[in-house]
Amino acid sequence: MYEISGELTPYYEELDPVKRLEILSTLHDDAAPFLRELYDGRYSDHEGKGRQNVDWWLWRCLCLQGLYSRGGFFRRFRDRETAAILRELRMNDNDEQHRTFLYHEYRNTAGRYLSTCRSSGYASRFMGFRQASDDEKVMKACEDIWQMSGGIARVSGMGEKMSLWVEAFRDELYGYDDICREEYERLSREE
Amino acid sequence: MQENKFAAAFKQNAIWLVFIVEVAIFAYFNPKFLSLANIVNISRQVSYYGIASIGMTFVILIAGIDLSIGSIIALVNVVCAYLMMNMGWNMWLAILVSILMAILIGVLNGWMVASIGIPAIIATFASQTIFRGCAYLLSGGLPIPGVVLEHPTFGFFARWSLNRWEIFKSMGEVGLIPICAIIMILCFAVGSFILNKSYFGRYFYAIGGNEEASELSGIRVNKMKYLIYALSGFFAGLAGIVLLSRSGSAQSTAAIGFEFEVITCVVLGGVSVAGGIGRMSGVIAGVLIIGSLKSGMIMMNVSEYTQMVVQGLVLAVAVGVDCFSKKRQAS
Repeated sequence: MYEISGELTPYYEELDPVKRLEILSTLHDDAAPFLRELYDGRYSDHEGKGRQNVDWWLWRCLCLQGLYSRGGFFRRFRDRETAAILRELRMNDNDEQHRTFLYHEYRNTAGRYLSTCRSSGYASRFMGFRQASDDEKVMKACEDIWQMSGGIARVSGMGEKMSLWVEAFRDELYGYDDICREEYERLSREE
Repeated sequence: MQENKFAAAFKQNAIWLVFIVEVAIFAYFNPKFLSLANIVNISRQVSYYGIASIGMTFVILIAGIDLSIGSIIALVNVVCAYLMMNMGWNMWLAILVSILMAILIGVLNGWMVASIGIPAIIATFASQTIFRGCAYLLSGGLPIPGVVLEHPTFGFFARWSLNRWEIFKSMGEVGLIPICAIIMILCFAVGSFILNKSYFGRYFYAIGGNEEASELSGIRVNKMKYLIYALSGFFAGLAGIVLLSRSGSAQSTAAIGFEFEVITCVVLGGVSVAGGIGRMSGVIAGVLIIGSLKSGMIMMNVSEYTQMVVQGLVLAVAVGVDCFSKKRQAS
């Protein structure tokens, strides 16, 4: 499922947008125009502030994580926002081939997020005075990935529409560290 | 599933249950605790640290801390009183300049933390010392009495604090609610709006949750830190004006140790010291719990020293619970 040609593998493994663009410009795959469209949607300067290589999809991950913890009075707002993000991230695209590329783009987004989870400041305590151990960072990364994928899908009741997103994030997380599968399953059982 | 939802809702709102239990206990031991006069009194007492706690919430959400707010309050007190009493400035102009100064101190904190890279606890501790010293220098260590923050069309502050019963006579337009409490409610509404409905709120959570990912996703993290510390300064300045209106006298010793009370309110309200987690409704509950606790202890004739011990314990327990829950998750 979601298999892609070997030519595309380096493109999806690369996390840096500049290098990705270089790889993309050398691709001769039929899917190149669609990939370019996805690339532009993900990295273009949406706010028109002249900033290059801003990862818009990564920002949407952070938004989804923030929306996960909204409830009560702000529940309606959360659901409306979540639906808008789903459209922006093309989760409603039902074309089979497109979904394959979207799956890999989502995994790449999750991969980019996870690449930030090894930094020294991540999951630190007491205003950065105590750095987190590697295990603590992994656990926090699992929690974050859960909140921005399976968690928000569950609390907003949009599990079906977000299935591809959730699957991609979960698969990327499982490859991140050995304990991630167990932790992700625990979180999905508990919540 | 339904049970899970109930458990989640209970967990999110447990702090309100703590507040209700606390009020019930104090009311049981002293029925006057629930009297209208005492409720009005508590609302007036909590107003200034309620206002300051909004800025502190923003700061703690990005995994920072602001230890300078007590000194900002003292300096705002002294500067505002000095401009009005010694230089004959118009009240509004003096308030405006004092609050602008508080914002600038916040910007200075932001600069030390974001641009220089000094840990927030050290940078704001240095500010605390510097600006407390400035307050002493300006006032010569003496109080500046007789400050009346009053205006014909907006005559609220000091008059009501002179005689607590006067609120019943002079506040027809706003019922029984003291204006300082109304200012606090408005500030909480603004704070809640910023956190829940604005992009800035999302930036705060994102930076507190994962600073590097925030940077990659286009948030100008350093700029946001400047803004957040400036907001903390602004709310501390506003709290200083409210305090001055209540006391009618500017003291360079005002609000010593105040930052710890505010941190207690914020952390008790569920804002994680690790950053990225917290809600304004929880902070409101935290403020009310601390306000009721102080009032209740006074009514039960608990000594001031014992009150300090209790407040310290509450802070330790609140931070301890936060750390314990994090540790349990990680194990």
